[in-house]
This record gives sequence, structure tokens and C-alpha cells, in this order.
Amino acid sequence: MPATISSTLQSQVPIPQPPRVITTKDCSYLKDALSWELLAFKKFHFYAQQVTDPEVKQALEKAGQMHQQHYQKLLAHLQVNNTAAMATIPQTQMQSQQQQNQAQ
Amino acid sequence: MPNQNQIANPHTGQLPQVKGPQMNDRDFLNDGLATCKYLTDSLNVAVREASHQQLYADMLQILTQTHQSAREMYDLMFRKGWYKLEAEEQQKLQQAHQQFSGYSTQFPYH
Repeated sequence: MPATISSTLQSQVPIPQPPRVITTKDCSYLKDALSWELLAFKKFHFYAQQVTDPEVKQALEKAGQMHQQHYQKLLAHLQVNNTAAMATIPQTQMQSQQQQNQAQ
Repeated sequence: MPNQNQIANPHTGQLPQVKGPQMNDRDFLNDGLATCKYLTDSLNVAVREASHQQLYADMLQILTQTHQSAREMYDLMFRKGWYKLEAEEQQKLQQAHQQFSGYSTQFPYH
């Protein structure tokens, strides 16, 4: 998470805000969250089949459907073109220096 | 004699007369609620760590909806008489209020 900076400073920097790139950390959390959601909606669907009270059944199915929607929403974040997004990011001084150091 | 401070509905949910090792309706709903509680804890960390704005917004919405879902299950359990609440004694409230009112000398803003 980025630190809060003033808007005047923000307009001067090469990358004013975090780009729409899925970071290594994002990817780990997305995979985690997808696993939790998948288990959740499978569980809710199974539970809904087991209970006898119609109101309880309905509540469980509703929760299951919601978690499946969450799964779809999270999954879409993995279907992005990171390569294209990275190509639009301006190279900062620090990166150029790093590349020079590697070349030496 | 019933506890005067207890807040609960009569049991209207369908539960077996003789409770056995099988999961009943209340167990299933209770476990569903536990699942939602676990998800909100885990999602909260993921939201806090999200890199860009769109990912943050989507995950925050998922977190909020999961909170709402957990709340609906809690409300249902309460309606079914599966959730008991207990009111604190008036004297305990007064004591706590008095204690924390006394800390106003420590307030930096007046």
C-alpha cells in the first residue's frame, strides 16, 4: 500500500498512482481468496441440501450464490494483461540505474 | 426462574427432539456464520494490501457484502431463537461510564 502524499507532489512524479498491474502480492491474495470463496459456496450449497427449515435453506443458498459471484469478480482480476500494462509504465531513474549496474 | 436480563426468542427453528451426533439446522447455519466470519477476517487483510485502486474497490465491496451476509445469518439465528443475548446490569454500566468519564483530564482536545 502506498503512503499518502500531497496532490502537488503527486502530479510531478513519473507514476502518479499504482498502475492496474497485478503484483506478486496481489496474485497471492487473489489465489487465497479464490480458494476460500470456492470452498464457501460449495459448503453453503451442500448445507442448503441438508437442512429441513425452508427459511434456513434459503439463507444458505443466498450466501452460496453470493460467494460464487465473488469468485467470478476475483477471477476477472487474474485475466489481465500485465505485460501490456507494464510496457506503459515510464522507466524511473532508479530502474535505469539498476539496469546499468546489472550490465556492468 | 428465567434470567431477567436475557433477550431471546422462543425456539421456532426445526431441531430434533432428541439431539444426536448428526448436524442439525442450527449447526449448519452456525457453521455457515463461522465461514463468513473467517472470510471477513481474511479478506480484510487482502483489502488492506491491495496494490491498485480497482482491485482495492472490488475487494472492499466483497468484504462489505460478506459482512452483510454474516449479519443476515446472525439475524436469522436470533429470530429462530438460536441466539441468546444478555443485558448488562445497570450498575455495571454506571460504573464503567463513571470510570471512563474520569479520564477526560487526559483529553488533548477541549
